[in-house]
Amino acid sequence: MKVSLIQNERGNVLLCAVCTIFIVSLIAANVLLNCTARYNQASNQVRSWNEALYAAESGADIAYNEVRKIASNPTNAFGTSNGWTTSGTTYTSGTTTFGTNSMRTSETVDLFYTDPTTGNAWYRIRSKGTSPLQGLKRTGMDDRLSNGNRFAANASTRGDGDTLLRKIDFKYDHFTATYGPTGDGTNKAIVAVSPAPQLSRRVELIAAPITPFEAAIKVSGNFYGLGSAAYIDSYRSSVGPYDPTVKTNPSDYRYVDSQSGTVEIDNGTATVFGDIYGNLYTNGGTATKKTVNVHGVIDNNVPFTIPSFSIPTYLPTPQVSPTKINSNTTVTPPAAGTARAPTVYLLSSFDKQLTINQNGSSETYVAIHLTSDFTGQIDVKPGVHVQFFIDGNVDVKARDIINETGYAGNLQFYSISPTDGSSQHVNINSPGNFVATFYAPSADFTMNGNPDVTGAIIAKSFYGNGNTSWHYDRSLDALGDVTDYRIASYVEDIR
Amino acid sequence: MKLTHHSHQSGFTLAEILTAMVIAVVIFAAIITASLAMQKSFNAVDNYFATHIQQIRIIDYLNRDVKRALIVTTSADQQTVTLTIPKYVVQSNDQDGQSNPSLIGTMRTPTISPTSSYQVNYDYVGTTTPATSTVVYSINGASILRTEDGVVTSIASSTDSLVPKDSDTELTNTEYTTMSVTFQPIFTSGNVADERTGTTVFSLAYLRNKRRG
Repeated sequence: MKVSLIQNERGNVLLCAVCTIFIVSLIAANVLLNCTARYNQASNQVRSWNEALYAAESGADIAYNEVRKIASNPTNAFGTSNGWTTSGTTYTSGTTTFGTNSMRTSETVDLFYTDPTTGNAWYRIRSKGTSPLQGLKRTGMDDRLSNGNRFAANASTRGDGDTLLRKIDFKYDHFTATYGPTGDGTNKAIVAVSPAPQLSRRVELIAAPITPFEAAIKVSGNFYGLGSAAYIDSYRSSVGPYDPTVKTNPSDYRYVDSQSGTVEIDNGTATVFGDIYGNLYTNGGTATKKTVNVHGVIDNNVPFTIPSFSIPTYLPTPQVSPTKINSNTTVTPPAAGTARAPTVYLLSSFDKQLTINQNGSSETYVAIHLTSDFTGQIDVKPGVHVQFFIDGNVDVKARDIINETGYAGNLQFYSISPTDGSSQHVNINSPGNFVATFYAPSADFTMNGNPDVTGAIIAKSFYGNGNTSWHYDRSLDALGDVTDYRIASYVEDIR
Repeated sequence: MKLTHHSHQSGFTLAEILTAMVIAVVIFAAIITASLAMQKSFNAVDNYFATHIQQIRIIDYLNRDVKRALIVTTSADQQTVTLTIPKYVVQSNDQDGQSNPSLIGTMRTPTISPTSSYQVNYDYVGTTTPATSTVVYSINGASILRTEDGVVTSIASSTDSLVPKDSDTELTNTEYTTMSVTFQPIFTSGNVADERTGTTVFSLAYLRNKRRG
């Protein structure tokens, strides 16, 4: 038997290589582990937290869109076909899932305030947005801050840093556990999150009604005016009568109400003359204080829309007579009525004078629906509030508009938008002055002569070259039916 | 049995051993140097990430508060921001919460004042006084502080000299705040200003309560 002794073994080289690789791998693994945790927090958790707000605000937009339908398309607002359920004046949506990360949102809308003057409703929108947490199921690494518990099921005992800001529901919905599902402290429950950890954020928005007369002149198209010696100022009739000296007297207590003769033009091209004691808004214009005589602010980046107008659906059944004003007529409404329940007259023609008396000593509310052109005269006696809805055109002299109340809000003209897209116009000719408002979003408005105007005009376009003195009544911004809604308040429930 | 002995086994020469030792030393020196460099690099990256997370936290805090604020003002040095925020939920230290503890934790109903300009407020329950919080963001040494009605919370802390800067722009009927946060990382190439600029995280948030149109 032969025994061979081989003494040049070389295994130690392999061992050294393995050890080296092991040490380097340990370092690399440590780097990777820390970087992954940091990335998980810096990217995924932050992204999900921000996406939850996107989801909540998207839900608020969905609800806001339904609220806007109340003004423009009420029969289709909060429709069941869109997943809404109604309970009294509270509307609840289903859950909408969207986006590649399967974000979810659900909303509740409720009527929480009714304006006592106009009857217009204000809506509260509550929206919840949820985003699943992407990446690893890990808490943060707030090793720079150490003032308490990093993470706790009860939100009120959470510690510091990211856990205080971004409240991640890893296993249970902290909000329902701590504050209840609606946040009012009732029906608290431990509810497991599914299918993955998530972040939720909640916002509350207030949708305020937009009333027709929020500016002295507001047009969606072309604007030309006024005369070079004209001016537009403002006052507030609830404070006192108009005084032409106030607009140039800053020490007068009414001065603050005299600088709202604002002109809004949703167009980049306009010709503006005269003094504007208010703001000038254009959409893409180049107006400056060197080119126009504006005493307020000039903003050339204010886009807006003026929705078309249709007759309100809430009007009561019309009176039996009169049905035509083809001879001078005087009416005394049988009841005082209210802004939402006025006495209604349905007229097929109007080319003579109509005088409207007050019902006793009560403030009297009247609505007129004229299905043709208006070429006559109207005389509104003190104590009478008139809304005049016109299907056709208006061709009158300023003196034909007689408003004995002295308040522009007491005589409101509304030009109903043609459904066939045909043109519409309102022509006010000289002589005379008038106190009234016009809401004619589909009409071209022309004013001739140099009338003294108290009121507001909303139209498709405006042309007036006279040296008009124009006084906008700031009390008008609270009058008239809702034409649209705007978001007036935004809060977030950060619990 | 015959034992065969390899009598011609030859060892390493001195030159071979010395060569091998030199090579080994070089290899180990390279490994140790690389390991140390890797560790330093790891520390720097880890520190950078940790501070970056705090940058984002500062931005997120500010963004959240600016969006729901009624008023935002910034100091001349852009390092102190003061916000007025509606108090949506009744807190235990609020006057209505103290007078009626059952209200604590409930959400306030907004109020509308039709006689003025239709401002939406969240009033103290049973009053016409708007309930608002004053929130101040400021720097204190290495910490970024958020103070809400006197209650101080350290929202970020770093030895890397975190510096938030904010500016507020108020237009006709809208307002926005721009925010940027920088820090000084551990590794620098000598150009300190550029190193800080390279860490900038920027954000812009509009005050939702001051909308255009």
